[in-house]
Amino acid sequence: MSYQLDFSPVWDGFPELLWGCVGTIGLALAGMLLATVIGIGGVIMRQSRFASLRYPVIAFVEVIRNTPFLVQIFFIFFALPLVGIRIDPTPTAVLALGINGGAYAIEIIRGGVQSISKGQYEAGLALGLHRSSVFRLIILKPALRAIFPSLTSQFVLLTLTTSIASAISAYELTSVAKRIESDSFRSFEVYFVVTALYLVISGLIMKLLNMFSSRYFDYPVR
Amino acid sequence: MDHGELLFLLKGLQWTVVLSAVGFLFGMAAGLGIALLRTSKFQAVQRITAGYIAVFQGTPLLMQLFVVYYGLALIGLKLDAWLAVAIGFTLHASAYLGEIWRGSIEAVPKGQLEASHALSLGYVSRMKDIVLPQAFRISLPATIGFLVQLIKGTSLASIVGFTELTRAGAIISNQIFRPLLVFGIVALLYFVICWPLSLYGARLESRFVQPAH
Amino acid sequence: MKDIRWNRRQALIAGAVALAAPNLVIEKALAVTPDEIKKRGKVIIGIQGDNPPWGFVDSSGKQMGLDADIGTLYGKYLGVPVEFTPLEVANRIPALTSGRVDILFATMAMFPDRAKAVQFSKPYVANVILLIAPKSIEIKTFADMAKLKSIGVARAAAQDTQITKNAPAGVNILRFDGDAASIQALISGQVEALGGNMFYIDKLNAAKPGYWENKVEFQRIYNGACTRLGEKEMNASANAFLDEIKANGELAKIHEKWIKLPLPSFPETIDGVSFVAS
Repeated sequence: MSYQLDFSPVWDGFPELLWGCVGTIGLALAGMLLATVIGIGGVIMRQSRFASLRYPVIAFVEVIRNTPFLVQIFFIFFALPLVGIRIDPTPTAVLALGINGGAYAIEIIRGGVQSISKGQYEAGLALGLHRSSVFRLIILKPALRAIFPSLTSQFVLLTLTTSIASAISAYELTSVAKRIESDSFRSFEVYFVVTALYLVISGLIMKLLNMFSSRYFDYPVR
Repeated sequence: MDHGELLFLLKGLQWTVVLSAVGFLFGMAAGLGIALLRTSKFQAVQRITAGYIAVFQGTPLLMQLFVVYYGLALIGLKLDAWLAVAIGFTLHASAYLGEIWRGSIEAVPKGQLEASHALSLGYVSRMKDIVLPQAFRISLPATIGFLVQLIKGTSLASIVGFTELTRAGAIISNQIFRPLLVFGIVALLYFVICWPLSLYGARLESRFVQPAH
Repeated sequence: MKDIRWNRRQALIAGAVALAAPNLVIEKALAVTPDEIKKRGKVIIGIQGDNPPWGFVDSSGKQMGLDADIGTLYGKYLGVPVEFTPLEVANRIPALTSGRVDILFATMAMFPDRAKAVQFSKPYVANVILLIAPKSIEIKTFADMAKLKSIGVARAAAQDTQITKNAPAGVNILRFDGDAASIQALISGQVEALGGNMFYIDKLNAAKPGYWENKVEFQRIYNGACTRLGEKEMNASANAFLDEIKANGELAKIHEKWIKLPLPSFPETIDGVSFVAS
């Protein structure tokens, strides 16, 4: 008896899969937001004069970038409750994505910030701007503009990483796919279609980020 | 945690290392082929290869593993779970390394290509002796960076039930009910393998930094 | 150097062949009979890897449990060594239908919808699917489950189906990739209650003695061995084997060892599930 491909359970469950896509995109956007906040905050701390601010950031970045996301999310979900921090699956996923993405964002943004020559900083101060305004307007924005393509790639990766959150039953596409698979036992058919859906989602996110970039960074540069 | 349990974790670590090594080595071989196809002068070949790379870079590794794991059996290859997973990682690596090496092949200064044409070197000799050695050196930081990604990626094999380090950790944590300790040790073990590689890659990168023009 | 270019027609033909090829190869890989297994030299048995006492892997990597002992006896019955493939709950049926394993002794509860995908043998052990919740919450009926904020289950397991069907709306159901993860979710407090079989409570008492207890029962089920639909010889072989170990007392011995209870009586028929391949 040969294995007959049967996609009908997938088409029957397609509306559910689409909602799963919405969940994935929501997780991804929330994760990106948190990652950006952590990224910028981390860069500020990393540039600080105080070693007590720099070293924790360095340690944070190195640990997060050299351990798997699955282990990180298991740690937050299963281990932290033992010290009293219990977080629901979807918020855990956002937190884990933000932390993971944030570590990479710190390094990427830091690369951009370091590429802005010191002269810019000094010119800003000479114009009478406050140090924080100089950082925000003269350093950060051009730095973000410069590294935005790198950040976009990283954020697309973050979007794909949301599928791992299915391991803690967060609401996103892979969790929905697994449910349809367990009801129909049509594993290959389900995952083949879901893989195609992820292609669409990652393309969408890339488009979204590019649109954001052209709106926000649309100023002339000499 | 007693001796036996730590040993179980180390056995999982052993599988992680084996899976990473196999995926990386065979991925490098296949990736070289992909990179050459991607830089081929035939438009159709270039486009198909670009499509292959885009699929692997635009979909989650977890999905790629599932599709290969369940799909291979359908086309008649009744493989051991670990072999199916290894093939999945190899294909994943081939796409990423192919793209990295395409970039570095194209980064080899054009003068080198022109000189090799002037010396009437054929495609094979041009690639083997001139372009690839230089491209490989240029690509080293990114290649090592990807190796770290691959090692971390092997943790996903746990979701198809393969007992590598992460799954070993989940099993032990379920036996002794100390997830903080167990996942802490698991994270530490990954860190111990990955961090030296990351540092090495970063050091290489700073050595290859091109001065601003 | 020859300049090789494919024209459109050749590319299309090549593509069609590539797509069709898998269908030509599938037929061979899957059909299996006991004779072919004997010729091959080993039987590949799908089993659970983290569900004591049915099937679990100990810290040295050895496959243990009720299903493991029965599987070992099946190997002896066929006269070949056994290779166990530990499977996650959701992987069991796909592993069988895709040909990765020859037969399942994997705590497979006999349900009509599963019987559409695989061929069950006669039942060989009984199980109870129930809800486990803290002693402090009284749950005597399905409606009482509304008191719970969240219930965890192992994806695709019998408890998944039961809780999805019977839990009141408003209760959050979390599905995990395996028994181990769902148990961890309960112990860490990520879910308030857990769907499972009657043996979970032993494991939970090892973590937090006396905190949880078995609550409302969903169903009493029977487990059978699974072979692929249409493979009559495999199904006949499994049934003959089970008859033999029931008759000679081996099954009762294994049952006592792992379940610590005498062998229950098995029904002659189960609604919607046939024991014999037609």
